[in-house]
Order: sequence, then C-alpha cells, then structure tokens
Amino acid sequence: MQVKEIMSKEVITVKHSTTLRQLLEIFAKFHMFPLIPVIEENNRLVGIISFRNLLNAFRPLEPEVLKTVPFLDEKKEDIFKTDLTEEIGNLVVVEDIMEKNFISIQEESSLEEAFSLMELHLKEEFPVVDKRGRLVGMIGIFDIIREVFHQKGVI
Amino acid sequence: MNTILGLGFILLAGLFSARLINKIRFPSVTAYLILGILIGPALFKLVPKGILDASGFISNIVLGIIAFGIGQNFSRDNFNRIGKPVMWISILEACGAWVLVTLVFLVILREPFYLSLLFGAIASATAPAATVMVIREYRAKGIFTDTLLGVVAIDDAWCLIIFAISLAISQTIYSHKLATFFLIKVFLDSILSIFGAFILGGIVAMALSYLSRYLHTQTELLIFTLGFVFLNIGVAIWLKLSVLLANMFLGTVLVNINKSSFKFFDALKTVDSPLFLLFFVLAGANLEIRILPKIGLIGLGYLIFRIVGKVTGASLGARISNASKSIKRYLGWGLVPQAGVALGCALIAKNDFPEVGSIVFTTIVATTVVYELIGPLCTKYALRKAGEVMLEPH
Repeated sequence: MQVKEIMSKEVITVKHSTTLRQLLEIFAKFHMFPLIPVIEENNRLVGIISFRNLLNAFRPLEPEVLKTVPFLDEKKEDIFKTDLTEEIGNLVVVEDIMEKNFISIQEESSLEEAFSLMELHLKEEFPVVDKRGRLVGMIGIFDIIREVFHQKGVI
Repeated sequence: MNTILGLGFILLAGLFSARLINKIRFPSVTAYLILGILIGPALFKLVPKGILDASGFISNIVLGIIAFGIGQNFSRDNFNRIGKPVMWISILEACGAWVLVTLVFLVILREPFYLSLLFGAIASATAPAATVMVIREYRAKGIFTDTLLGVVAIDDAWCLIIFAISLAISQTIYSHKLATFFLIKVFLDSILSIFGAFILGGIVAMALSYLSRYLHTQTELLIFTLGFVFLNIGVAIWLKLSVLLANMFLGTVLVNINKSSFKFFDALKTVDSPLFLLFFVLAGANLEIRILPKIGLIGLGYLIFRIVGKVTGASLGARISNASKSIKRYLGWGLVPQAGVALGCALIAKNDFPEVGSIVFTTIVATTVVYELIGPLCTKYALRKAGEVMLEPH
C-alpha cells in the first residue's frame, strides 16, 4: 500500500508571504498547531511551519548560518516577558520563521517506509510530494496506524 | 579526588558557574574557562590527574566535532546566501590578523618563523559566543548586525583552513630544524597533509551517507554519526593528516551529497554540551601559571596586533565590497572575542610542539580571558556606533 492511498489530500497551506497574524488567524480555533506546508507557485513545497517555529517570532531572527557555530549559548526566552508589539503581526512573515530543512515523503513510498522515517526522525507527520516536488498531501502516524487496524479487521 | 568524582564535580561546578556568569552578561564559555583556571594545578589543584592527562584526547574529539559542524557551511545554497560583503570581510579580517601577527612576531619580537606562523594562524579565530550574546541582549537589528553575524559565523571555517595550512608548514619546518627552508619540500608536505585530509573526509562522508539508509531509530543515528566522526578523527591522527580539515571536509562533502544531512549534525547536538564544557574547563586547567610572567611582551603584542589586524582587514573587506560606512569603520570591533577554536588550535600546538607549545598555549589562554572580558565591551561600542541597538538593558 502506498502513502498516496491513505494520505490527507485536503491540506491547509501558506505561502512565503503569509503574515504571522494571518497564520495565527487560520488556527485560532485549533487546540494544537499542526504542521503546515509552505508552498509557492505550482504547489511547489518550499518549507514547513510547526509551533516550534512560532517561537522564533519572539526573538529577533538570526541568520541560518549561526546554526553551525559551535559553543553558542542556547537562546533563553521567557515568552511571557518579551516586548512584542502589534506590528510584529504584520511584519513577520512565514518566510522569516519557517523550517527549510525538512523531510518530505514521495507519494509512491510504501507505508512501511513512511513509518520507518517517522521513527528515525521522531516526527509524527510529513508532507507528501510528487516526483516534481509538488505538495500532494500530508501523512500522519495516525493515518498509518488506522490503516493497520483496518487491515487486521479491528475497524 | 578520583577521576569520575572529578568529572561529576566539573560538570556541576561548570553548570553553576555558567549560571552565575550569565547573570553578569557573559557567555557560558567564559565561566568554564575561568573555572578551569581556578580548579587547575595553577590555583586550587582540584582537577584529578586522570582528567588532565586526557586534555589532548578531549580536545581532538571536540575540535573534530566542531570542524564537522563547520563543514556544513560549504553547501552550494549557503554560498549563494552568504553575499559579497560577508565573504570579503570575513576572509580579509581572518587573513589580516594572521599576516599581521605573524609579521609582528617575526620582525619585531624576533621569534622563529614557525612559532610566529602558529600565533598568526590562531589570531585569525573569532569566538562568536560573546558577540552573539551582546547582539541578543541589545536586540540589535539591521544590516550591520546581519553582516557581523554572518562574518562571525563563517570566520571559524577560514581559521580552520588557515590553521591547518600553518600547522602543516610549521611542523615541516620544525621537524627539519632548518633556519631557512626548502620551499618545495615544505610546500609538498603541507599539500599532502591537506589533500589527504580532503580525500579521507570525502571517503568517510560517502560511506556514512551510503550506510545511513539502514538506520531505524534516533539512537542508532546518534551512535552511527558519533562513530563515524571518531573514525574520521582517529584515521586522520593515524595517517598524520589534519584532523580539523578532515572533519571539515567530512561535513562539507556530506552536506553536498545527502539531502537530509541535517539529521546527522542535529544528532550530535544532543550530546556535545558536556564535552564542550569539559573542553573549556580543561583548557583553563592547562594554564601554566609559572610561564605567565615570561609571556608579557608576546602576550601584549598578540593582544594588540590581533585587534589591529582584524579591524583593518575588516575595513578593507568592507571597502572592496562597497559596504556601508558603519561597517567599514566599526565591524572589526565586533570581532575581538576569542575562545573555542583558538584554544583548540593552541592545544593542538601544545601537543605537537613540546618545547614551545606551552608558551603558545599559555599565551592563548591568558589572551582569551582578556578578550572575553573586553570583547563584549568592544561589540557594544560597535553596535552603538552603528546605531543598531534596539533595547538598552536595565
């Protein structure tokens, strides 16, 4: 069985230029902030946003290259004490805070491969792409578990 | 104190001192260094011999790991993102410090060439921790800040390359004990050590990438990555190749051949902090206080001319790349702090050059402490002059 057979095809997506305010408004009623793919023209997948990336909005953004620098202290941020201003809602855009290093899975991969990848990276969902790198859906660990239960007749 | 008790003590004391020093707005590495000096043979003598003897061992491991991480910078995407000013400024400030310190030591202080070259190479390093801390504290924002961050981030890579070349040359000259040197022999031996490191790093990277398809869990990923990094370090030592370059090349080749290479680098981040703590404490503990009085002039010369080299080099780089006036005038002042990479290189020098190594190392530890103390002040000055301070802390 391939990933494309059980993945979710209806996915909420954002673009590079979506502002922080717009992003938060989409999820105003959600209890948990899901993984959101960032797409550009032709549905090309360019990044992902998770709630962890939201924490970057509390801080002035640092260049990617700083990640490779050794001996740096971790950023300590008390989110309750930062001085955020209203403009941040419009000034910070998805491109500033999204994750560019991410794992995506090909739509024709098997469920076993997807599950294996989830275990290796300790992640619970991945965006699914076609051969051209365009987003076609999302697959989560629950989708796979549910399918296994279904195959065994439990549901 | 037995070795394991000593380790426990060092880790906990390190944690505690880092907390203390963070309160007065200095980075944790400064705390580790000072702790090491305090508890080492120089002062309170609390460090067990077993741990002291492992200094070279620990520093090879730590340097190997950070060189591996630094290798990531050389991906194709990254180079496109870096931009001309950061490239020019970082290369010229590193070379500026290298060349100026080497010349000053050779001509003014009349030290032998191989020793001057070592000091010059170490001078090219900048420690980002103190600079980044100041930038975060002042919520600095703008082009000056971005450029400064870019330069401090990539600077370690240039220093590693400069040091590897200088070390190869110095070792060749030293082992031949020649007053003048046979240029060709020195050149060839150095090239061999560097090229060999490249081949080693490349081969290990390919093996690592290929075999990683069989990994199933995070635990395996961590053990796998660590194992390969140690393997690389060990083979480099065995074949007398540059450990720093071999690991840097391992990182570089890996990031360019494997699409999800970030997982390897991220895996190491989970275990590197206690190693780094130990490294800095041991660096401080290796300070030989009895040598301190002898290095007065050398220390002063290094202290002053490293700054001069960096400030003028940065200024030149800024001019060539048409950077703003603030960057031309003040960026070099953000590059004053020196710590990890410099100490690591100095420790290597200490091991490889038994006679003069201690002088190099003690000078570097002493100057590092000074730089770490005045560094943040210089960075604050530079940021204020560039007008990019957003928040004055109370």
